Parts: sequence; C-alpha cells; structure tokens
Amino acid sequence: MFYHKRNTVLTSQYNQFILITEEVSAAVEESGIRNGIVAVTSNHTTAGIMVNEALECLESDIDEALQRLIPEDHPYAHARILRSYGSTAGNPTGHLKAMLTGYHCLFPVVSGEIQKGEAQEIYFMEFDGPSQRTYSITVQGE
Amino acid sequence: MGEVIDIHTHPAFFEPICGSEGLLEQRRQALGLYKTGTARLEHIHNQMQCAGIDRLALLPLDLSTQENQVIGSNEEIRLLVELDPQRFIGFASVDPYRPDALDALEHAFGDLGLAGLKLHPSRQNFSPASELLDPIYALCLRYNKPIIFHAGLSLEPNTTMRYANPLEFETVAARYPRLRISLAHFGFPWVRETAALLLKYPNMFADTGLLYFDSAREFYEEVFTRMLGKYWVDRSLRHQVMFGSNNPRFEQIRMIEALRNLGWRASTLDLVLGQNALEFLG
Repeated sequence: MFYHKRNTVLTSQYNQFILITEEVSAAVEESGIRNGIVAVTSNHTTAGIMVNEALECLESDIDEALQRLIPEDHPYAHARILRSYGSTAGNPTGHLKAMLTGYHCLFPVVSGEIQKGEAQEIYFMEFDGPSQRTYSITVQGE
Repeated sequence: MGEVIDIHTHPAFFEPICGSEGLLEQRRQALGLYKTGTARLEHIHNQMQCAGIDRLALLPLDLSTQENQVIGSNEEIRLLVELDPQRFIGFASVDPYRPDALDALEHAFGDLGLAGLKLHPSRQNFSPASELLDPIYALCLRYNKPIIFHAGLSLEPNTTMRYANPLEFETVAARYPRLRISLAHFGFPWVRETAALLLKYPNMFADTGLLYFDSAREFYEEVFTRMLGKYWVDRSLRHQVMFGSNNPRFEQIRMIEALRNLGWRASTLDLVLGQNALEFLG
C-alpha cells in the first residue's frame, strides 16, 4: 500500500523550529498502513527536516550552533540577482543550514506505530522565512 | 522608534488580486519575476512583522496603451487598502497616453482615495519633462499627492534605461517646486546624480529599493559609503531618503537590517525608515 500527503505551513520567522510529530503520526494512522516505512520530506532547499529532542534549551543551542557555523555576514557567492528568478538570492544561509539538517527523515512503522525513540521529535526547519512551505508525508507498507 | 514604512512594494502577487494560475503566470512574465508565487495576506503580515515594518505603499502599473495590460488596477489597490487599511497605503497608476488619463487619475484620487501616483517613464515610454505630463502634474498638485517615478535600472522586460536617468527628472523638480517627487531605486546606477538632485531640490526624495549586486549589507555599504560619501545621507540628505524595498524582487528583512548597520544616527534612521515617508505622503 502507498499513502502520500502534502502539508502546507505558513512560517512566521526568519529561522523557525516547527514541531510536526503529531501531524506525521496522524498521517500514519490515516494511511491505515500497519507495517512499513514513513518518510517525511521537505519540498524546499532552504527549509529542512530535523529529528531531535524538543527542548527549549536544545532549540536554542542548535539555532546558535547553526548561526555560528553559517553566519549571515559572510561573502557568499550566492548573494546575487538570479536571472531565472528575476530576484535577489539573498538566502545562502538558508541553503547551507538546510544542507546540514537534510531535507528528510525516515522511521519504521510497526503495528501502526512510528518506531521512534522517547526523545525523538520531528521538526520542520524554516531557514528563510517567513514563507509558505510544503512538506510531504509518505507511508509505504501493508 | 517611530513608524516604519516601506514606500516601494509591488502587490501584483497578493492573493486577493491574483486569484488564478493564468493571472499569476501573466504577472510573472510581465514583471520578470519568474518564480514568484501568490502571497496570502497572512504571509505579507508575517513578513512585515519579521522585518519590523508597520505599513507598505502598494504600487500598481498601468500599461494600457503600451502593452494592453494593467498590473494591478487602481480599483484592485483600493480593494487591498480596504482589506487592511492599517497596513496598506495605496498608490494609483495611470498610463499618460490613455485618452481618459486625467479622468482615471481624478477618480483614483477623488473617489478611491489613493495616496499618490506611480509612474514608470522607461516602461510607459514617455519623457518626464514632456508637456504630455503637465496636466497630470497639475492634478497631483491640486490633490496634494506625491509621485514616485521609476528611476535607474529596471529588471522588468520591455524596459530600457531610456528616460530613467535621474537627470531626466530635474526639469520636473524645477518647474514644479511644490510637487513632491521620489526617484525610486535611488536612480541606480546614477546614485551620485540622485544625491546631487536631492541636495539642490528639497521637493525631491529617493528610496532605497536597490539591491542589484551582493548581499543587502554588502551592497548598501558599497552604495552608501563608497559610491556616495559615507556621511552624505546622515548629514545632508537625511530628510529626503525613504526606506523602500521593491519587494518582492528584493528582500525586506535583510535590507532593513543592512540600513540599520550603516552607522547613521538613530534620528536619521527614524527619518529614513518612516518619518520622511510621512512627509512625502503629505
């Protein structure tokens, strides 16, 4: 069996952590698939998917670490007008941060339950907001 | 800190006035913004909040005779203002070659209550100093409405830099000293010419909607500390420069942040970010 769903989220911050674990669990339940795999994928190159523990302190540390590794004030080659867009590509930091988090996560589904650890939560990671974003939830199995 | 106004934005992709895929694609091609999507007003509000912007000036473009299209009509601008009067300042546009140009503009000011006029000489194909424009300038004076002129480089199709050099506008500023006019994009690449005009003519303004190279921080440093003298805006032009982003082509959040990093006095920043726009709007 195959199930696929696209969720849209309107982000409100330049960089933003958005918990989507409940949406993913609900999609698995809606799929009716008992045993298989669930994949969560971002449709963007400046927004990622991250799995980590949902603690305020960790969100702060992760945000700070990403800013330290990828500062806003740096001579990025991507800072230029793109003719194919007709607009400024002012978002090199978004691309690089999304590269670090990756654009997807994957979990087993067993007896209708996502097999994730106690501390694991799924985040949609905005790195060039505010924006209208889309992510996909795909469940495959039986 | 006072109110922050973005005096230069294009609402062509706002959802209430861009309701179909066909119109979206038409506006992408017309503005040369090939991957811009429809924007819900909630997204616009989020963007404003994130950038710390209180109000946006919305600029349409009437190309009736040149290209048989209108990129946001005056009525559509009025609709957007009605949807959010606290956040939106509506400008009118009129194609000067329209036989009913004066009636259309009078309707925009008198009935629709729009706050000013946007003209784009290099795309609407007229010289700002042409006598064709005199009745339009007179009408703006009668209603005490300012004019924003496109000036300098445009990345839009069907647009050369003819009629875009800031010096094209000197005759207008001199002939109509009570008419408030703004040169959009600071007239880039002729930013020194724009600075010279602002120095001489107190009825001239310019906006900061220029981000043609580099990051916002790098480009504003280049323009406002090297192409122009480091202190020119802060000392001499502080009452005539207005924050304008040219969104969605350029980015509000990083542009406003870059302006705050230019080393201007706090009082100059207040003027540039909002007070000068209030003065310009009358």
